[in-house]
Amino acid sequence: MEQSGHLAIKNLTKVYERGQVVALKDLSFSVKKGEFLVVIGLSGSGKSTLLRCINRLIEPTSGSVSLDGVDVTSLPSSRMRRMRRGMGMVFQHFNLISRSTVLTNVLTGRLGYTPVWKSMAGWFSKADHELAMKSLERVGLEEKAYVRADELSGGQQQRVGIARALMQQPSLLLVDEPVSALDPATSNSIMQYFEEINQSDDITVLTSLHFLSLARRYGTRIIALKGGELVFDGLPSDIDDSRFKEIYGEEAEEVEVR
Amino acid sequence: MDQRLDGSTLLGNLLHTRARTALKNRAFSFLLDWMIWGYVAYAVMFFLNHYWYTWIPGHWYDTLTLPSWGWPLTIIATLELTVICRNFGRSLGMRAFGLDLYPTSGERISFVRRLLRIAVWQLSVPVACVGFWSNPAVPLHDRAAGTVLRSTREVDREETDANDALGIARVRKPEKRALTTQWGIMSLFLLGLTFWLGWTIIEANLSVLTRRADKAGDLFQKIARPDFRYFFKEDPIFVLRRGSFAILDLMVLTLLMTLLSTVLGTAVAFPLSFLGARNIMSFHPVGLVIYTVVRGFFNIVRAIETLLWATIFAVWVGWGSPFAGVLALTVHTIAALGKLFSEQVEGIDKGPSEAIRAAGGNFFQVIRYAVIPQVVPAFWAFTLYRWDINVRMSTVIALVGAGGVGTLLFYYKNEGQWSIVGSVVVSIVVVVWLMDYLSGWLRERIVR
Amino acid sequence: MSSAGRSTKPLSQLINLLGRSLGQIQKAWEPFIVDFAIIATTWILITYTYSWFTRGPELATYFLVPWWLFLIGSVEIAVLWESFGVSLGHTLFRVRLLGADRRPPTLRQAVVYFFGWHISALPLAGLLASPPLHERWSGLRFHPLIVDSIRPRPWYRRSIGIYLMALFVVVSVAAVGVTITFQNLVRLFSDAYRVAPLWRALVNPNLAILKDSFSDLIVTIFMAVMATLFATIIAVPISFFAARNLTQGAIGRTVYTILRGIMSIFRSIEPIVWAIVFLVWVTSAHASFAGVLALWIHSIADLTKLYAERLESIDEGLMEAISATGASRFQVLRYGVVPQIVNPYISFTLYRFDINVRMATVVGLVGAGGIGGRLIAYLSGQRYANAGTVMLLIVVAVWAIDYLSSRLRSKLL
Ligand SMILES: Nc1ncnc2c1ncn2[C@@H]1O[C@H](COP(=O)(O)OP(=O)(O)OP(=O)(O)O)[C@@H](O)[C@H]1O
Ligand SMILES: [Mg+2]
Repeated sequence: MEQSGHLAIKNLTKVYERGQVVALKDLSFSVKKGEFLVVIGLSGSGKSTLLRCINRLIEPTSGSVSLDGVDVTSLPSSRMRRMRRGMGMVFQHFNLISRSTVLTNVLTGRLGYTPVWKSMAGWFSKADHELAMKSLERVGLEEKAYVRADELSGGQQQRVGIARALMQQPSLLLVDEPVSALDPATSNSIMQYFEEINQSDDITVLTSLHFLSLARRYGTRIIALKGGELVFDGLPSDIDDSRFKEIYGEEAEEVEVR
Repeated sequence: MDQRLDGSTLLGNLLHTRARTALKNRAFSFLLDWMIWGYVAYAVMFFLNHYWYTWIPGHWYDTLTLPSWGWPLTIIATLELTVICRNFGRSLGMRAFGLDLYPTSGERISFVRRLLRIAVWQLSVPVACVGFWSNPAVPLHDRAAGTVLRSTREVDREETDANDALGIARVRKPEKRALTTQWGIMSLFLLGLTFWLGWTIIEANLSVLTRRADKAGDLFQKIARPDFRYFFKEDPIFVLRRGSFAILDLMVLTLLMTLLSTVLGTAVAFPLSFLGARNIMSFHPVGLVIYTVVRGFFNIVRAIETLLWATIFAVWVGWGSPFAGVLALTVHTIAALGKLFSEQVEGIDKGPSEAIRAAGGNFFQVIRYAVIPQVVPAFWAFTLYRWDINVRMSTVIALVGAGGVGTLLFYYKNEGQWSIVGSVVVSIVVVVWLMDYLSGWLRERIVR
Repeated sequence: MSSAGRSTKPLSQLINLLGRSLGQIQKAWEPFIVDFAIIATTWILITYTYSWFTRGPELATYFLVPWWLFLIGSVEIAVLWESFGVSLGHTLFRVRLLGADRRPPTLRQAVVYFFGWHISALPLAGLLASPPLHERWSGLRFHPLIVDSIRPRPWYRRSIGIYLMALFVVVSVAAVGVTITFQNLVRLFSDAYRVAPLWRALVNPNLAILKDSFSDLIVTIFMAVMATLFATIIAVPISFFAARNLTQGAIGRTVYTILRGIMSIFRSIEPIVWAIVFLVWVTSAHASFAGVLALWIHSIADLTKLYAERLESIDEGLMEAISATGASRFQVLRYGVVPQIVNPYISFTLYRFDINVRMATVVGLVGAGGIGGRLIAYLSGQRYANAGTVMLLIVVAVWAIDYLSSRLRSKLL
């Protein structure tokens, strides 16, 4: 736990060529190991862009991201892929391969560790298979291992997504609005998985959330984006009514999710 | 890497792209109008040649041949007609690209202003488009006449916004009935012209249809009473190079040909289709070059029908050999399936590939685990569909010497043995129909 | 419109009953037909190969036994397979033949099923009962296959996978053996020079024939235009009678069935065959007219099918809403159906035009006008450079029209 933090983001800027949208403006912050950091902000404020700039699914326009002292933004693409193994990602719309089995989906989390020729033939090592079953057990889906992914409910699919991210044995988990496609009860149970992972595996979690109540409940720290700029960085308890209005605009009203 | 994020340049760029689209639409709508008048000119020339050729000085008996003064005259006349149409009312080209002429001052554009616009146009466009140099959005002739050519939808939106700002509920002007507008009349006129022109060009003749109806009746009667004499047994007179064949034998041969060519075609089209998918190949400029080449290959090969390919291959590997048919079907299958496949690859959901990349997967792993699982069912469906088409095609490629059951069809047709032709046709219909049914049924099950 | 389906007319009741029992027959026969097809194919393959080797290729036969023996034999083997084991048909349709409470069948039950099948399913009559007679007698019926969390065997270790794989290999080998001779392969390489002038002409066309070819191309394109135009005029009204959801009641169903049947027969005959027939009819003095008629017939059949399928997938809600206002049948069509289909219809017509242009280049091969005739003349005269020039024109025209039509179609949707 160095001074500069586990993950450090400096002057990060992203401009989308198409349509010339400035999605992130000169963003800087750092995250300590084991933190549960929640990113909030209005729709279109740049949350997804931020998360994807960290593992460079989207190339940042300028600025730098460094993980454990390694500058991610300047890595050549082959080293970048190795870097990505250490950063699991969970998606809003699950992004599962819907026609493949749950097990195959989970195993794809090991692709970064598997030689390309082996993975072309669909071979994963025995250890990988065991790890996959363990990850599935962790999210309570070991029975569904051989079911096609699109036969699962939304909550189950997201759990598969989590198991897939766990397969990478990451030190950082990037989570993009994991529950906005789910109902409130399922949302809570999904968030509890992240909490458990965060606490027992000491994996740093960086998640964007739409519901402030969930952010308050699970986050150890909250940052807020507005129009691609950092407008708040602090503890969940620091967000009072005026802060809230500042982030979400004057007309917003807080909704509770339990 | 750093870029200046100046608001004004951003806005400028935005405006720039919009202006470019507007200019493009303007140019294309003009070209369309001009082409329409070119088409009318062709029709006039055609009818002159067809009906009134005695009037034509110098007797050029061909629509596409004009005397030396003919071309400049045609070009100038069509241009002028185009301009006149575009200044009086909404021309077909303007309608097709959603443009209309609006006054910048005054309620409506007067007759004189329209004339003025036409006059200034003669300088501002034909002379190296000089009128567009200073301000492409409002060229010289527009400025002179106080008009502007704009997208109707944009104008509509602006009006709504303005009215909203003033709190006025906007009353939409009722659409004019199509037949009271210039473009409506023009469309109808073009339809009629095409009809007349086409009728003359194809030398349609209804009287011959009725006059020879009894002959056709005879023929249909013979075909409808098929003679299955040579279905199992071969015709002793009809001898192919490699032995004589009954209908059934050649039908099996045809099916084997289609099977082989479908399998070969799919095997080649499958890997090529990834090279022909834009979303896969856009990682690098070289990739885009490959994409363009592959797509171009698909399009060129597809444009030549299987039968034409069969003629080429029959010359190449031997007249009457089934191998020529297999090659022709294969080549066309590669191109047709390649195009369908790559379009399918272009339509995939990005999510899974994002997930694989986030897990550290490389290019090939993304294709193997995120792209292929998504497209494979559709690939199967397309392959079956293509097999169906190949069966249809294979029944006739014998015409140009590419083997298969069509050999018998054309042989007995030339012999005038129509009732045996009937039996071949019935066999073909049954097989094609069964294949159609089977492939449809399988497709339905696979795509689920 | 939906009231017609519920009418108590005896005729429509009969049709409904027929429809229901047809469904039952289909369900009972599906696995059987698959099994029968598999056994028959295997039989034919084996006997053909066997007789090929023993009697020589000239005398190779498909059945070895009389064809009726072959039929009876295949049926019997298929039924035996289905009664006493898990057949590929069962696997394919994911069903299992099980007794009550999903108990596996006893030998007695299987025997009863086997003989009962001959009495009840083969003449189809027993299938009208529900459950079918052979199922009632034996106490066995199809249960859906339940997949639990047991790891499924990969396809290459399942019987159906192995069988299909083997079949595929055998048939492919047969296909290669029948269609390709060694001589062919040699010529593919040694005779490539013959068509080389053709490829050269694609980049270096013979300008002298360009103008005449262009005139022919115009004829070809107008052939496609006229065929599409006339076909649309006929197919649009017909399609309403060929859509299942708009044709109800006994007469409607009959018209629907007849129309669809005729259209599917017409579609099965390639335009080039039609062109031959029409050439005899209107004589080759009116060659391009014959071509247009051929394309026209085929286009009518194709367009009617496309249109009708579109009609079958329209949103019934809108129709219901319009008929709820008390509109007449015609008004429902005009305001509930037509607005939904205008754009798809135009798009299908454009698509068909695109195909017709391709086809029009081809019907010329039999002498039905247009640029195809010129091409075949050059090819048979071994003037490959000229043929290449014509080919270039065709490619450019077809490509351009394909591009325009697909652009327009994507705008329409
Ligand atoms: N591929 C893209 N091309 C152009 N602009 C984009 C692209 N993706 C996102 N944007 C723009 O960038 C801005 C930020 O988008 P982003 O998806 O990061 O927002 P978000 O906070 O995740 O929103 P949401 O809560 O709706 O998911 C938006 O204005 C969006 O329109
Ligand atoms: Mg987002």
